[in-house]
Amino acid sequence: MKMSCAQIGELLPDYLQDSLRGAKREVVEAHLAECADCRDEVAVWQKLALLPVEQPSAESRLRFEALLHAYQEGRSDRGKAHFEGERWAPAKAPLGSGWSFWQWLRTPVGAVAWSAALLLLGLLAGNYYGGRTIRGGTNGNADEMAEMRNELRSTRQLVVLSMLQQQSASERLQGVSYSQREDQLDPQVTQALLHTLQHDASVDVRLAALDALSRHSGQPQVRSGVLDALQQQQSPLVQVALIDQLVEWRDREAAQNLRNFEQTPNLNPTVKQRAEWAVSKLN
Amino acid sequence: MREQAPGQTETDLNMDLAPDEELMLQVRDGAGETLGVLFDRYQTPLYNFYAKLTGDRTLSEDLVQEVFLRILKYSRSYQPGTPFRAWIYQIARNARVDHYRKTPRHISFEPEMAPPVKPRDEAQESQETELLHRALLQMPEEKREILILSRFQELKYEEIARLLGCELGTVKTRIHRAIQELRQVFRQLEGGAAAGSAGAAAPAPALPPRRVGS
Repeated sequence: MKMSCAQIGELLPDYLQDSLRGAKREVVEAHLAECADCRDEVAVWQKLALLPVEQPSAESRLRFEALLHAYQEGRSDRGKAHFEGERWAPAKAPLGSGWSFWQWLRTPVGAVAWSAALLLLGLLAGNYYGGRTIRGGTNGNADEMAEMRNELRSTRQLVVLSMLQQQSASERLQGVSYSQREDQLDPQVTQALLHTLQHDASVDVRLAALDALSRHSGQPQVRSGVLDALQQQQSPLVQVALIDQLVEWRDREAAQNLRNFEQTPNLNPTVKQRAEWAVSKLN
Repeated sequence: MREQAPGQTETDLNMDLAPDEELMLQVRDGAGETLGVLFDRYQTPLYNFYAKLTGDRTLSEDLVQEVFLRILKYSRSYQPGTPFRAWIYQIARNARVDHYRKTPRHISFEPEMAPPVKPRDEAQESQETELLHRALLQMPEEKREILILSRFQELKYEEIARLLGCELGTVKTRIHRAIQELRQVFRQLEGGAAAGSAGAAAPAPALPPRRVGS
């Protein structure tokens, strides 16, 4: 029996999931032997298996643990305290739990957990008794989701601020990269990133901070901070990155600063050259 | 077969082997920590679902978190007998729809702006995989989604039909159309890439354009 491509097309999905048996399977196979187009469809489908399975970052599990921890805290507190109208009340509770709790808060995991706790307690207080359905996003739930997202944003800011204070450079790096999740930087986070750009001990972290700030040239604070950093920076690598950034922003006002910068005594020749190039680009 | 890791208790092992539905009922009845087992089972599939759909790693991780937040929040609406896999994908789809409702794509999720999801070791990625990936991201979203669900998420067509709220026959038709379109886009990209590299190699005569479709 001869079949058209359209008729084969109806059988193809079952064939591809290997659930076609008997005569139908034979018909499809006979057609594929003759029809290059249909064969190519099968080939492309099979090629999809080449796409790699991506692994989520390790941070993902930590975030989940923080979420769960916060949820369980919320549940056990619920028995003791009244929630209604006391959205932030549970935040005061840990005051009695002693110093170690605050130390724990200073670790990144602690910060994440704590922020998630605030987020979740707020959510639970607002909605636990609501008994809503799974489908979010309509009417009241849309507001609720917007609120949740706002809280998630402040959660992240807390995490960024805490991570930028860490001892290990890799944690500070993580903090910088975490800050890039936001379209808009909170002024406090901007300050922290500028401080990192100027004073962090690690060149990698300083470069990462510059990269994170580069998307926020609209903030005057960011531009002037980058210019300040140029005056103070000792590492040629960072100096060059700063110069390139000013060129990328087409910051004409920076030209004068760069001219002054070129005159810095003992300036690395490569950096000096780069600054000259930048001045010519900006004029 | 899973092997018992040293230090693992029998309870842990039982939990590792328990069906999703049973674990979810425990979560519903207050054993929140059990959700960790479900998280370990589903975070990678869900992450890949989102990553292939959106091409955005960060967003994908955020959405996975949101799925589990919703599970905690709505655990009491989970009914015994509901297949967990279908349930979690339903939540996952809703979470994404809600996200796009709040953050219209043209602001931050233009495919060309979002970093393509690639293996971290890019050197290992063949050009073919790269093109296939790009082809997938160029597809209209409904077609991309149905391809991802059927090819990567190990969902049966019946499950997809239930998830999308349509007939089984419709699912199959839509899958076939999606494959046709993917093939077309992929072969076009491949033709473009071949012509490009031939051009770069200079004196070699340009390859004849590859026939696509029809």
